[in-house]
Amino acid sequence: MSETPLLRTERLCKTYPDGQVNALVEVMLSIRRGEFVAIMGASGSGKSTLLNLLGGLDLPTSGDVYFEGQSLSSMPDLDRFRASKIGFVFQSFFLLPTLTALENVQVPMFEGPLSARQRSAKASELMKLVGMSHRLHHRPPQLSVGERQRIAIARALANDPQLLLADEPTGNLDSRTAVEVLDLFAHLHRDKGMTLILVTHGQEVADRAQRIIRMRDGRICAEERTSSAKLNVATS
Amino acid sequence: MRFYQFILKNILQRKTRSALTIIGVAIAVTAVVALIGVADGCERSFRDLYDKRGVDLLVLRAGASERISSTIPQRVGEQLRQLPGVRSVTGGLMDVVSFEEANLARVLVHGWTFDSGLFDELRMIDGRKPQRGDNNSVIVGVVLAKNLSKKTGDRLEIAGREFTIVGIYESFNVYLNGSAVMLLPALQTLMDRLGDVTGFEVVLEDSPNKKELIDRVRRQISDLRRSDGQPWGIEAVPTADYVKSTSQLQMVKGMAWMTSAIALIIGAVGVLNTMIMSVFERTREIGILRAIGWRKTRVVRLILYESILLSIAGAIIGIFAAVVLTRALTMWPLVNGLVSGEVSAQVIVQGVLIALAVGLIGGAYPAYRGAYLLPTEALRHE
Repeated sequence: MSETPLLRTERLCKTYPDGQVNALVEVMLSIRRGEFVAIMGASGSGKSTLLNLLGGLDLPTSGDVYFEGQSLSSMPDLDRFRASKIGFVFQSFFLLPTLTALENVQVPMFEGPLSARQRSAKASELMKLVGMSHRLHHRPPQLSVGERQRIAIARALANDPQLLLADEPTGNLDSRTAVEVLDLFAHLHRDKGMTLILVTHGQEVADRAQRIIRMRDGRICAEERTSSAKLNVATS
Repeated sequence: MRFYQFILKNILQRKTRSALTIIGVAIAVTAVVALIGVADGCERSFRDLYDKRGVDLLVLRAGASERISSTIPQRVGEQLRQLPGVRSVTGGLMDVVSFEEANLARVLVHGWTFDSGLFDELRMIDGRKPQRGDNNSVIVGVVLAKNLSKKTGDRLEIAGREFTIVGIYESFNVYLNGSAVMLLPALQTLMDRLGDVTGFEVVLEDSPNKKELIDRVRRQISDLRRSDGQPWGIEAVPTADYVKSTSQLQMVKGMAWMTSAIALIIGAVGVLNTMIMSVFERTREIGILRAIGWRKTRVVRLILYESILLSIAGAIIGIFAAVVLTRALTMWPLVNGLVSGEVSAQVIVQGVLIALAVGLIGGAYPAYRGAYLLPTEALRHE
């Protein structure tokens, strides 16, 4: 019996009514637990729209997304789903500038069961995981862009999500910092078993994933396994 | 970090706007607490005037809405004194005069008999009380003396006739402190109201069932007849009912509530404006919070708590300002014989509740807007 995929889409369509733009057209996709997938495509190809639908940030016009076999459109509380199952990393980091790094990491935890002391302790652990223990009490404007993205990743991990969605996470970073952030993703995938879906323009970034899904005009036009996948298979 | 710390940081981040909102709410609360406080204080002082002397009933002309417009023949007092259960009856005349040179438009002048127990309630701080036949003398309350810049021995023209100030008194009651007192015949002559009094204050005997006694005596007073068998046309009103029904007090309270309502609407619109702008400015931030899993209810709480916190800060400042303002009013000659300068705890609680309502009303719509923002659209917002 084949294992239920962590995430699956069924004829996923998204049409924006203003201008009748078909952002996604009957996208069929399946992501295994523990997989690292990159979605590539030109601007306007629908990759960010797909990511938003996969993470329950938006609802499809037709079709559905299934997480662990459960339809997102039939979920009574998508907020709870996002809070508990999904971690988001954005290109522009989207940290709250008035809060310290440690406080930013704690923001998603308000929806969880942890006490203030437990939230702080867990945030400290996550800051250590992303190599930012020395910047706990700095505010985002006092940090480099690479450091900000690390904090954003720590925040995405705050509620122990099963799936990490990253939209152009290296888009605002220089190449050296981008490599550091990608190394962090690789570590989360390889050592923590995290399922990762990463949207990117860059081939070098996509090559770090096990599988690359290419999109054009709202459709999946190609899928390929990467050398990383072979490497992972070889080492597993 | 706790949720309230997150809220506080949001408020402190926008210091100028938060301060302006707090000031807006503070002004509204000041208006409410000061106006209602003054009206409330007026009623309390008025009630004290009778309560502290143990007056149970006021006998007035039937249908007279104001004590001051009531006129009753002085001889009715003899009949009242003979009613069973009545301990004492004190008649008095009251009229209103103005002292234009001191900018005092409405000063009460009381006329009492020389042996009236009412004099015992006054503490003479200078001079003496009027004695039998002292019909050219007047004593003035401490506030009135200050407003008129008069002292014992000075001459004082009242309604076109000169009197000598023979003493200055202080009373527990703010109204009396702003009034003048002379002997009853002197005021009757001055106002051309010979043989008349404004009304009688009736103190009843102690009784285990006071209410029943009051009701019985009221009925007896209504049944009193003139020598020709016709009714006197008088009524006895319990003091608490009289104070509550006084039309001027009702008008003052009505005006206070009306002005307060306007102030409140302005305050609520101010908070609404601030919170709408705040939500608009923080659209992307709300989008982030929703994207990382905050539920709609938490976004609602975030915005509502912020607006309520701003309103409570406004309430604290507003109540403080109202207390200072009310105290300051007592130093203003035009009203200082009318305003007690005390703001009751009840009025302060009303001020806090009103501020909470302003916060809730002002924050409700922005909270709704914030909560129902689509995360994807909010994240695209610049």
